[in-house]
Amino acid sequence: MEDHLEFAMSLALAQGASYAEARFQSDYYESNLLKNGEPEVASFETRRGMAFRAIVNGGMAFGATNQLTKKDIRAVVKRMLTSAKQAGRANKVPIAMGKAELGQGRVEVKPRVPFDAVNMDSRIELLREADAAAVSAAERMGVRLPGRYLSLDTIITEKTIINSDGAKVYSKIPRVALDTFITAFHPERGSVQRMYNLGESTGWEGIERWDVPKLLSEEAESLANILLKAEAAKEEQGDVILGPEVVGIVSHESSGHPGEADRILGREAAQAGEAYLQRDSLGLKVGSEAVNVVEDPTIPRSFGYYLYDDEGVKARKRYLIKEGRISEFLHNRSTAYSMGAESNASSRSMAFNREPIVRMANTFVEPGDLSFEELIEGVAFGVYIKNFMEWNIDDRRYNQRYVGLEAYRIEDGELRGRLRNPVLEMTTPGLWSAVDAAGKDLKFTAAYCGKGDPMQAIPVWTGGPHIRLRGIRLGGIA
Amino acid sequence: MRAEDICQSVLRTCKAQGVSDVVVSVAQSEGLMVRFSNNEITTVNALSDVTASIFVNDNGRKSGANAADLSKKGLEKAAKKVVEMAKRAPAAPTYAPLPQGPFTYDPKLLGGGQVTTDPKVLVPYVKEAIEAAQREGAQRVAGSLVSDNGKLTIQTSNGAFGVMMRSAIELSLRAFCSETASGHSVSVAGKEADFRPAEAGTEAGRLAKMSLGAADGEPGEYDAVLGPLVFAGLVNQVGRASSAFSVEAGLSFLADKVGQRVASECLSIVDDPTLEGTYGSMPFDAEGLPTRRNTIIDGGVLKGYLHNSTTAKKFGTATTANAGLVAPRPFNLVVEPGQRSLEDLISSVERGIYVTNDWYLRYQNYKTGDFSTIPRDAMFLIEGGKLVRPIKELRISDNLLRMFSSIKDIAKERSWVRWWEVEVPTLCPAALVGKVRFTKSRR
Repeated sequence: MEDHLEFAMSLALAQGASYAEARFQSDYYESNLLKNGEPEVASFETRRGMAFRAIVNGGMAFGATNQLTKKDIRAVVKRMLTSAKQAGRANKVPIAMGKAELGQGRVEVKPRVPFDAVNMDSRIELLREADAAAVSAAERMGVRLPGRYLSLDTIITEKTIINSDGAKVYSKIPRVALDTFITAFHPERGSVQRMYNLGESTGWEGIERWDVPKLLSEEAESLANILLKAEAAKEEQGDVILGPEVVGIVSHESSGHPGEADRILGREAAQAGEAYLQRDSLGLKVGSEAVNVVEDPTIPRSFGYYLYDDEGVKARKRYLIKEGRISEFLHNRSTAYSMGAESNASSRSMAFNREPIVRMANTFVEPGDLSFEELIEGVAFGVYIKNFMEWNIDDRRYNQRYVGLEAYRIEDGELRGRLRNPVLEMTTPGLWSAVDAAGKDLKFTAAYCGKGDPMQAIPVWTGGPHIRLRGIRLGGIA
Repeated sequence: MRAEDICQSVLRTCKAQGVSDVVVSVAQSEGLMVRFSNNEITTVNALSDVTASIFVNDNGRKSGANAADLSKKGLEKAAKKVVEMAKRAPAAPTYAPLPQGPFTYDPKLLGGGQVTTDPKVLVPYVKEAIEAAQREGAQRVAGSLVSDNGKLTIQTSNGAFGVMMRSAIELSLRAFCSETASGHSVSVAGKEADFRPAEAGTEAGRLAKMSLGAADGEPGEYDAVLGPLVFAGLVNQVGRASSAFSVEAGLSFLADKVGQRVASECLSIVDDPTLEGTYGSMPFDAEGLPTRRNTIIDGGVLKGYLHNSTTAKKFGTATTANAGLVAPRPFNLVVEPGQRSLEDLISSVERGIYVTNDWYLRYQNYKTGDFSTIPRDAMFLIEGGKLVRPIKELRISDNLLRMFSSIKDIAKERSWVRWWEVEVPTLCPAALVGKVRFTKSRR
């Protein structure tokens, strides 16, 4: 297989490419789906093929095929080079690859419990047990769960990446993912819904650690409590404590995305959008000194884990916001070249037939030193938003809205009762500037971040500690 | 191996293992995508793909696979594994056999036309669109052009066999006159003759120019004229929510509403894969059944859900030929046109907002339809029936059932919409919706 990659790269270089790369990628998925307690389908899927990229006369093109004979590879490389030449002719500003610390090595995450040690009937049985636990927990409280959707995936991703600047990296990473969607209903109190995802780069042991039946039982209890006990939130002024799940999505949407250099340069303008940050925003104050947002692909077990990106660049921890100021953008080699920076290994591709683009991996607010109790103690009047359902943000990542799901009133430093649908609708600098403290806890949830055209859903972690925001005007029931 | 041979070989292997229902399909595609931003070509994607899909339903024990290794040995291995998975899977309580063929498909839907995937033609199309936007005053233009030719072969254990040639070409572009003054437009076609890159460029550029100098809008309730891009996004929600799978999973605001009024009288939506030469035309569904025109909403009344054989049996009805082997799905949504022009709709509004595009529609509750979405690109305040000024920084935070029931009128001009935010191709007009709730971020 490596000789096929070398063959493609040599072909591209011989025909005028100033830069060429070749990647073999195989993603093997096994999936089980349970809907309302009934098995839907057990499935497996192999996405396997080769991807090539080249720059010719300042024009870039990408090619991919899952037909892996030399004849097929030659054909796709030829189409790619013709395309790159056309792009180069049409362009005024040439595309080039910037400097980077390129790797040569192997990365392999070895599972403690391999996936093939757990057969499909055991997997569906686990989902059934979790589903039954959730239904029982809700029924004990007089609430029904008429809609339950549970999906359990195992994935093995294998990549070999070479390029004409000397990178040569092999990686093999297993991942597990759980996606849940639950509707709780009470005839007099209506319905609430919860979407919750977990994911890790581990073997089956990751799923065992989650204790899925206990997790689903707790989620069902929480939804029942919201239905039965929560009172409608009102428009009011107060302090706000955000739980790690909310902090995670804020970190991802309001720090990670606007810090992606390709958005700043306008490359995603017609799809995922641009950014409120500009090329010269490094050092810009966007939050209080209590805000430190980190992007780190190298966290062991993380859903977004990698040690070399898809351009073969060595990964490292990045500070997106440090003490309230923009510290670093996320770059691949071509955005780094455009901005006179160095790639910080943010180039990722979700499958063999997708070009690598600038992506996040694991984005989170760095913990501070206060316990949850200490954060609450400091609030005379406010709201604690533990998690959320509805959310969105504009394409410049400036106006966002998060509607709390499990939420509580805070009075005189204590949690006093449940609230339903408090609305946080704020600008990005407004939100980060209101933060006065971060807790010492740190928790992650998993997500698939969507970006690119064609769309690429890439595994990420989002997370953080509890954080406290001062003087917020909250909206009421939406 | 030819697609037909792959289908037969996999069917043979599966049937030899003693399973009752098998669907094999082979999707072949060769496409080119030209991506551009800042008036320059950022990359060109040349993609070539062949994938075989296998689905087995052994008396309610269901399994599926996508196989990448299409050698005889690879296919045999995949087929045996799918069957083994099905045999080990617990049986779902509802089993419906695959529709019994053979079937005859509408030859007009089996295709045969080709669109060009030659970069020497497609890159000039992109330049044409960019220059059209620039003529309207755009400074920067970004977007993507995708051209794709494919072949889909399907064969089932119950006698269905079909081969469809599929071609499509689409352009989605966004023009900017300043950092925040932008307009978006698309051209979506099943054949090259219907492709209009310059028109899309002109429209995006014109909207961008009109939105220069936008001021922050004020939150509140407004009558809203929703342009085709926005309304197609909402109609896609109807398409998704009308899938029987969504209804069962708690993902539908249309649950338990068949036969009821869910929208105002002027709204009728059909799923019509039988429209020859359009982007979403399909001769057969994923169970091999010939597709047909299905009415989802007729004069504001929900007529029924979209089904495959299994969901139909669960709901005590007949399949609508919208399989999805797991989830039924719409192919090609069509909104019936109204009588008046978009200009007439705008001129009928005393005080309101014209929204030309939106994105990130997210639910607070799929079952109730509580949601919000963010207007993007050109948006205008309407006073006395006229667009008085461009506005920005607002969000629509409302309920889909309330909005569909508050549609006052639908425009007569329609265009095909499909882009990043609108997955199912939709032939869509603008709509005038009463008392839409707009909210705004606090600083």
